[in-house]
Amino acid sequence: MDFWRRAPNPWSQDVLLGVSWDLMWAAAIAGVAFIVAHALWSKVRAGPGEDGGGAPGSPGSGAGASGLAARVLRHSLTSRLFHWVMAASMLVLLVTAFFPVLGLRFDWVSVHWIAGVVLLATIVFHVVHSTVVRNWRTIWIDGSDVREGTAELKHFITGQGHPPGKTGKYATANKAFHHAAVVVGLGAIVTGVLMMFRIDTVFWAANPYILGDGMWGVVYVVHGLCGVALITMTAAHVYFAVRPDKWWLTRSMIKGWITREEYLTHHDPQKWAPEVGEGATGASAGSAADPAAVA
Amino acid sequence: MAEQLIGVDIAPPDLVAKVTGRAKYAEDFRAEGMVFAKLLISPMPHARVRRIDARRALAMEGVVGILTADDITPVDAPGEACLTMEPLYQGEPILAIAAVDETTAANAIEAVNVDLQPLPFALDPLQSLRPGGADARTEGNTYVRTQESRDFQSLKWPRSVFDDAPPGTLPMGEPQTEWTIGDVDAGFADAAVVIEETLSHQSLTHHPMEPRSTMAYWQNGKLYIHTSTQSVARTQAAIAAQMDLELDDVVLIGEYCGGGFGSKITGSPIMLVPAFFSRKLGRPVMMRINRYEEHYVGRARPGFQAWTKMGFRSDGRMTALDLYIVQDHGPYGLSGDHNSAASTASLTYQPENMRFRGVTVYTNTPPRAAQRAPGGGAIVAMLEPLIDKAARELGVDRVDIRMINAPADNEAWMGANQRPLTSNFVRRAIRIGADQFDWAAKRQLSGQRQGTKATGVGIGVSPYSGGSSGFDGLIVIRPDGRLYIHQGIGNLGTHSFADTARVAAEILGMNWRDCQVIWGDTSQHLPWSSVQAGSQTTHAHTRANHAAAMDALAKLQQIAAMDLGGSPSDYMVDEGRVFRRANRSRGLSFARAAERAIELGGRFDGHELPEDIHVMTVGSATGLAGQGLMGVAKDNYGGEGAIQSWVVGFARVEVDVETGHVELKEYLGSADCGVVLHPRSLAAQIHGGAIQGFGMARSQKWVMDPKWGAGFANRFYTARPPGILDVPLEMDWVAVGEPDPQSPVGARGIGEPPLGAGAAAITSAIADALGGQCLCRTPLTTDVILAALEGREQPFSILDAHV
Amino acid sequence: MAVIRDMIPAFELFQPTTLQDALALLAEYGDEGWALAGGLDSFDWFKDRVKRPTAVVDLAGIESLRGVRPWGDGIEIGAMTTLTDVIENEDVQSRYGLLREAASHVATPQIRNAGTLGGNLCQDTRCWYYRSGWPCYRAGGNTCYASAREAMNREHCVMGARRCVAVNPSDVAPALIALDAQMVIAGRRGERVVDAEDFFIGPAIDITRMTVLKPGEVLTSVRIPPDYAGATFYFEKVRDRQSWDFALAAVATAMVTSGGNIQRARVAVNGVAPYPVRLENVERVVAGRPVSEETAEAGGAVATDGAKPLRHNDYKVALLENLVRRSLRGTEA
Ligand SMILES: Cc1cc2nc3c(=O)[nH]c(=O)nc-3n(C[C@H](O)[C@H](O)[C@H](O)COP(=O)(O)OP(=O)(O)OC[C@H]3O[C@@H](n4cnc5c(N)ncnc54)[C@H](O)[C@@H]3O)c2cc1C
Repeated sequence: MDFWRRAPNPWSQDVLLGVSWDLMWAAAIAGVAFIVAHALWSKVRAGPGEDGGGAPGSPGSGAGASGLAARVLRHSLTSRLFHWVMAASMLVLLVTAFFPVLGLRFDWVSVHWIAGVVLLATIVFHVVHSTVVRNWRTIWIDGSDVREGTAELKHFITGQGHPPGKTGKYATANKAFHHAAVVVGLGAIVTGVLMMFRIDTVFWAANPYILGDGMWGVVYVVHGLCGVALITMTAAHVYFAVRPDKWWLTRSMIKGWITREEYLTHHDPQKWAPEVGEGATGASAGSAADPAAVA
Repeated sequence: MAEQLIGVDIAPPDLVAKVTGRAKYAEDFRAEGMVFAKLLISPMPHARVRRIDARRALAMEGVVGILTADDITPVDAPGEACLTMEPLYQGEPILAIAAVDETTAANAIEAVNVDLQPLPFALDPLQSLRPGGADARTEGNTYVRTQESRDFQSLKWPRSVFDDAPPGTLPMGEPQTEWTIGDVDAGFADAAVVIEETLSHQSLTHHPMEPRSTMAYWQNGKLYIHTSTQSVARTQAAIAAQMDLELDDVVLIGEYCGGGFGSKITGSPIMLVPAFFSRKLGRPVMMRINRYEEHYVGRARPGFQAWTKMGFRSDGRMTALDLYIVQDHGPYGLSGDHNSAASTASLTYQPENMRFRGVTVYTNTPPRAAQRAPGGGAIVAMLEPLIDKAARELGVDRVDIRMINAPADNEAWMGANQRPLTSNFVRRAIRIGADQFDWAAKRQLSGQRQGTKATGVGIGVSPYSGGSSGFDGLIVIRPDGRLYIHQGIGNLGTHSFADTARVAAEILGMNWRDCQVIWGDTSQHLPWSSVQAGSQTTHAHTRANHAAAMDALAKLQQIAAMDLGGSPSDYMVDEGRVFRRANRSRGLSFARAAERAIELGGRFDGHELPEDIHVMTVGSATGLAGQGLMGVAKDNYGGEGAIQSWVVGFARVEVDVETGHVELKEYLGSADCGVVLHPRSLAAQIHGGAIQGFGMARSQKWVMDPKWGAGFANRFYTARPPGILDVPLEMDWVAVGEPDPQSPVGARGIGEPPLGAGAAAITSAIADALGGQCLCRTPLTTDVILAALEGREQPFSILDAHV
Repeated sequence: MAVIRDMIPAFELFQPTTLQDALALLAEYGDEGWALAGGLDSFDWFKDRVKRPTAVVDLAGIESLRGVRPWGDGIEIGAMTTLTDVIENEDVQSRYGLLREAASHVATPQIRNAGTLGGNLCQDTRCWYYRSGWPCYRAGGNTCYASAREAMNREHCVMGARRCVAVNPSDVAPALIALDAQMVIAGRRGERVVDAEDFFIGPAIDITRMTVLKPGEVLTSVRIPPDYAGATFYFEKVRDRQSWDFALAAVATAMVTSGGNIQRARVAVNGVAPYPVRLENVERVVAGRPVSEETAEAGGAVATDGAKPLRHNDYKVALLENLVRRSLRGTEA
């Protein structure tokens, strides 16, 4: 397997062109392997007839359950819209990036960069929205996450230690995924924006020479690595979304709410005090944004 | 009576060999144990070689060795060596590898790793002249020669020079060269019409048919070298000098040369690679140059970025000519095209006042060399349409304005030192050309439209140097009764190696079938000769052979007088015999005379030689001594003034106003080159040179990517020399035929001037078809013409180089 | 690696005599294989060592790929028929003069004697950046050197560019599009037939290929229907030299007229886009109109809709418009 594509430039200097498309296959295989392994292992750990996700606790075991409505708002409409627009653009990006490599020929470049611009816009929105309006710390890993996460992982793999406890709004795994997505996504976007300088767009005329050959090679490699990483990550993400034990979360990303029971089962009200509502929409979630609620 | 040999058509002696393919060019030779060399050329326009790793290449089966710059005699800057560790243009050879076959050598080159450090580079002279602009060479961007010193200089003009020049106008900072005759400002004050334009002319590769291949080997300390060269005697001398050898230790074989056009005057640096390599390896080395490499190492005509201002009185007389030329010099040597351009302009128009300013700037582009009518061809192609413009504004006929400005006789002046000419009949050439072309009728067609086709007629007056003198002639009449004419000039397809030999035969009254020209192999005892360039040969070697024949004639007469009585002047020659004027039967055959010469020895058979001949001729004559009656002499005929020939071109074109396509309908060249030695070969020169001029004026140029300094016109189809369909069906010629009185034969050279005539006639005709609009650039490609016709933006600015 | 040009490296040469064998060989060698026709494009690549197949499959020995034969009321021309044979064919001369004209504008007599119809249609672009072996998009890299601001793109495209701005160099292609021809393609899985205009693809679809041919496929013949046989034809090519030169722009037009009116027309151009372009908007504008200067003007006016010149080829827009206009005047070139 090749990792890089290299070629002599016009001056016969060996330069990087990008990652080898072998990596695309590697990423796809890694994604599938992870899913299969996880699914199988979950079955094994859980024993017959049960899914391995495991409920971390039982309803009512947490404090502050009183006064909760039947439905707890988990994702505001804005957040959901963001998520799905982002998901759509990401999917478009992946399809337009990799299907042509697979031999499916179509005019992909414009769609790809436009999807990239959409993604960028949603992300800018998301960053502003989650720092100004929402509480970005809910998704940020802290010390306890690390401890919890390691323990959970250990438990999942070996069955030892304690099962995952109740979490704040986002479980450690969610947070880890988000972090990875931040890194990989930013990598892809920053390099993608640079790459847009090489083609004619509505913003500017192509100029392949804003960076030197060597630098461009790095840009393409980073973009390529991020791209193939996104294949694996998207696969894993979709896998979890469709797993029955995570369906309550997926539903919340569609409809916005989780049930009171789900809330009480999975979350520690100390760590995450949601606003109260009937699957409400457009909540400004002022209380949730109160750092004290998290601490 | 022996046949007439001057002024008649006679096929050259190499004709059959050429058309049957038996002629052997440099790359056709083979030698025992011969290996093939291939070059590694620089991908960068300017770089320093940091490291060469050829281990993989040298380990390949069949590879026999490597030659780098360390293995060759160094050359002082700004001279050019055949290999370098600091390539100054893309395509410059860095090293060579030899192998038992060419494919292996090529594969080995691919296996070499050369670590190159890119250095700043300059492609466009004007960019290099800007403050902060890159210099093509680490030492600077120009070379200054003064009385006191000669050195590189980094010449930069102040920013204001560039800022003050309106777009599309040549910025003109301080020049390097400047001369003035009279007072141009006064001239302009006198003028009824003043024309001022920025001009441009693109660089173009010579691209002769035969690339410069060479095979070399050493035997007993002597270098045997088969190469493609325009000159033979002079190339031998050049190789000896460059390899630090005695003249005798170089044997040069170059019987055939598939064209040079100035790019192979004494060969070119690359021919030394097999010479050094075979010395290093102890085996014969053949290096064939392919078309791609030829583009890089094959020399090119310098480009010009120029400006002119001309003043005319109401009768059309040029009162002042102001000319500024920025020359694109390439990376090596000292090229004087811009100076020749200025002196050619001065000669053509005899302006009452003139100023020339010029700068020549090194660039990281393939090396320049003289190309057929260097400087002169380019300048007339640029200026002639402007002469038309003045004529139009003044209401003077375009032939008349040329007549009035062309020099009337040999009292003309030329260049800064204002030399007169040996003779000059250009006005007659204009007149008979105009008559034969039927100018009076054709000019009525000017601007006429038929459908989308607009007709234009044009004239181009083109002088160029037509000779040199002072070389040696060497002939021998052997006891077989035949005349052997030794020629040290080359054979690049012009016939002059044979045509100039016929002068000796004619003087000695011999039939051509009894004569043998010996040429192309320095082991065959060749006399010191002119370079086969600059249109020198016809003039120089009709004279040298004349001198040798006169010497032989005198010796024949003396022997006859000795043996048969009377005085030498009682005897004459014809049909291979020397006999008494009064009684044809009292005489000797040349065969007998040759025997007698050998018996007599001394100066008769070459054992005693004139004192004034060149050492090379001494050596050759000594080698031939005792073989027969020898005629050997230096051309001491003398003469005053510059030797210049002229061609006046007349062209009719049709420009399609919807496509910019130009069709050349007819062309006529009218020459003033003294006595016509050989009509058919004169026609070949007038037409062939014109066709080359058509290429320069219409399609040939370089294209280089400015970011990478890389050239794309490196194949015939991208370099675009004209093809046969670009040549008009009707091509005609005429010659004045007036002898040059300062030469015993009266013939001048004709190689160069046809090019400028062809090019200028077309640029003038195209401007005429466009209603007098001068685009002031060569080549005038389809896109340039169409953009002008459509009033659209030109594809390139007039000052862009290599586009 | 140092660069060697003008020297063909060794490869294995196969000279099959049947199409099946040729297809099998091409399939066997995949990316390493190369179909060879007249060699005028192929050898350029080999000589410059930019494309280095290890196995070359010479199609010259396959008799069935040669010659002109009737096809219904039209004709079918084998892909390996030389351009000279196409030009000299009586049917082509009498009924498809447009093809004859186009083919006789290709390069030089020598090249037409060796170059084949199929090779001419499948030939690669002449973009000099690409031909120089630079790692451009078309070569699998990620740069278009020719569209850079400072680039030398006088000969590049004014339409159809997507990252790559090279042009299709074939003179024959637009004529076949104007004649509504079909391309017959054979592959390991059988035969397919595509319209001439769909045979050529732009960089938007596949930046590394000029046609729909997939690796291992062979163009076996070109079928020309009778629809435009004997129509009013116009072919014109503008180039810098009159031989041995590719088109700056070329137009091929076929018009069926009746009573001085254009019933239907097909107009195709080349040298202006990465693929030969059928100008359907022009066809629409002129259909049903009288053959006249006004119609020609109207057609010419829409010919360059959407054209976007590069820095140095603005002239091509005017050239294209003028050529299309001329082609609609109803007079031969
Ligand atoms: C200097 C020069 C100037 C030229 N000028 C012009 C011009 O002005 N106009 C013009 O139209 N053309 C021009 N050509 C192109 C030339 O006319 C040939 O048509 C062209 O090079 C290819 O034809 P060929 O038969 O030689 O094919 P090849 O060179 O052998 O093949 C060309 C390509 O097509 C593929 N191929 C060939 N046949 C088939 C097939 N049956 N099925 C699948 N793939 C196939 C080959 O694999 C190769 O990739 C010029 C060529 C040269 C060298």
